Amino acid sequence: MAAAIVVDGLYRGYGSGRSRVDVLQSLGMSVEEGTIYGLLGPSGCGKTTLLKVVLGRLVPEAGDVDVLGSRPGETGSAVPGSAVGYSPQEIALYEDLSIAETFLFHGRLHGMSRDRISARQDWLIGFLDLPDPGWQVGKLSGGQKRRVSLAVALLHEPQLLLLDEPTVGVDPELRARIWDHLREIADGGTTVVLTTHYIDEAGQADRVGLMRNGGLLAEDAPGSLMEPHGHSSLEQTFLMLCRRDGGAAA
Amino acid sequence: MERVHAIGARKFASLRRDKQMFGFIVLMPAIQIILFGIAIGQTPYDLDFGVIDESDGALQGVETGLAASHALIIHEYDTVADARADIEEGALWGALLLTEEGQLELHLDNSNQQVSNTILIEVRNAMEAALAEQGASLPMEIADPVFGERDPSFIDFLAPGIITLVCFMFSTILTTIAFVGERYDGTLDRVFAAGTKPSEVLLGHMGAFSTILVGQVLVVIGIAVFAFDTPVNGNPILLFLLALMLGWAAMCLGLLISSKAKSEFQGVQLNMPILFTVLLLSGILWPVEALPEWIQPVSYALPTTWTAEAFRSIMIRGWGLESTVVLTAFVFDAVFAVVMLGIASRTLRVQE
Repeated sequence: MAAAIVVDGLYRGYGSGRSRVDVLQSLGMSVEEGTIYGLLGPSGCGKTTLLKVVLGRLVPEAGDVDVLGSRPGETGSAVPGSAVGYSPQEIALYEDLSIAETFLFHGRLHGMSRDRISARQDWLIGFLDLPDPGWQVGKLSGGQKRRVSLAVALLHEPQLLLLDEPTVGVDPELRARIWDHLREIADGGTTVVLTTHYIDEAGQADRVGLMRNGGLLAEDAPGSLMEPHGHSSLEQTFLMLCRRDGGAAA
Repeated sequence: MERVHAIGARKFASLRRDKQMFGFIVLMPAIQIILFGIAIGQTPYDLDFGVIDESDGALQGVETGLAASHALIIHEYDTVADARADIEEGALWGALLLTEEGQLELHLDNSNQQVSNTILIEVRNAMEAALAEQGASLPMEIADPVFGERDPSFIDFLAPGIITLVCFMFSTILTTIAFVGERYDGTLDRVFAAGTKPSEVLLGHMGAFSTILVGQVLVVIGIAVFAFDTPVNGNPILLFLLALMLGWAAMCLGLLISSKAKSEFQGVQLNMPILFTVLLLSGILWPVEALPEWIQPVSYALPTTWTAEAFRSIMIRGWGLESTVVLTAFVFDAVFAVVMLGIASRTLRVQE
């Protein structure tokens, strides 16, 4: 299977001089097309930074990044563009628009026809249990907003999904349905990269990357990570690996 | 173009729904221009003024003329010393001595230039009237002016400049916070993730704000011209178009600030120095002709300087596009807008 994302020796930080923060250090990652990749790690470890580099929103300071066949941001690259669907960690919605207006706006950004936007909207509202599309986003609960945010990423049926903490605050039944859907579109060829701190949920991914101290501590199929140690949960494996890596994170 | 349209439509919807901001945008310039019209540039009145008549009635005409003036309240004094004592106490703005030889000697409290100017004009008018009565006249006659009124009021000089200032400032303030928040709350990330270019974002915002700009300019010019009878001897449509042009220049500057500012607060703060520079150096309060040489380049780098002068030319002189002054203003504002927008589209980057 072809690689959707290949990252090699990536360095990226923020600031300079005394306010310098190194976030990603010599990070390598690979994601195959048509698979679900779970990026695990504590807050502040750089999951969002990595996602933004893959998205083409942050420039690598050093290292190679290849997404869907080219370096993000280069002329002719599919990224950023309609090939990508992005759901940021912050809700990132316009509070004063209604749900319908939100879909219309993002749909138009991707050049979708009104009919298609309407059809997708109907499906997404049903699938994600969204309230009346006439409701203003600002009036929704936190969980509802997050689901709308996820819906926006799914709206244009992109080739690559980058989802930052998509299931936070979502009830277990809906979480299961979301994962089922992700599995379905992955089988259809869509590549899904998601970050989460629900370690056990990540066990449903095809591959997981455990992030720590700016790099990946381990990257493999969940089963392959747990089996050799006879662990029954990914959490156990992660804990063991962290201890081996040297106790407290930097 | 579809993206530009989508962004513009969305921003416009957001603006319309923010009732407070909308009220601010429409009302503030209106209030500003109304206050200006009411408060600034009228002739001071009810000024306490002393008269000492030692001419035994020979210059009676002058005293009558002064007493009839709306600007002055006349108080009679016996001696100059008494009058000067009251001036020193601040009870009088000035006093006029009518001497035995038929001369006039004027004593003034010059601490307020506008008051002193008013007094001088009143005295001169009273003198002319008195002389005319006697069949004589001053050696100098002031002919009908080529442009403007016989006794130009400060407000006629100030009005074009104030219109410039109000149009410029409110457009800049408006767009300064256009997308500062969006740069930090993730919504701009999403827009860029979809493949949108910075120029599309900027043009979309410009489109949304332009609709408001048209309303603002109509309100400001409308009030100045219809409520306050500010003279427009030239083409009012030309005036309107130039005001729009200036508004666009201001918008592009605001968008540039929006691309750079780290917070909405910082964006608003940056407007302060701009306001002062424009107010003091554009020939709005004080003629550019009086500026020291070394600072003139700064003045001429501002679109408001050229536009204020063009406004005066259109409004008071009645000039049109055939005049260099007016044409230059249009061109300068357009170039300024394009340059600011260009810098903004480099500052607002997809990849950081």
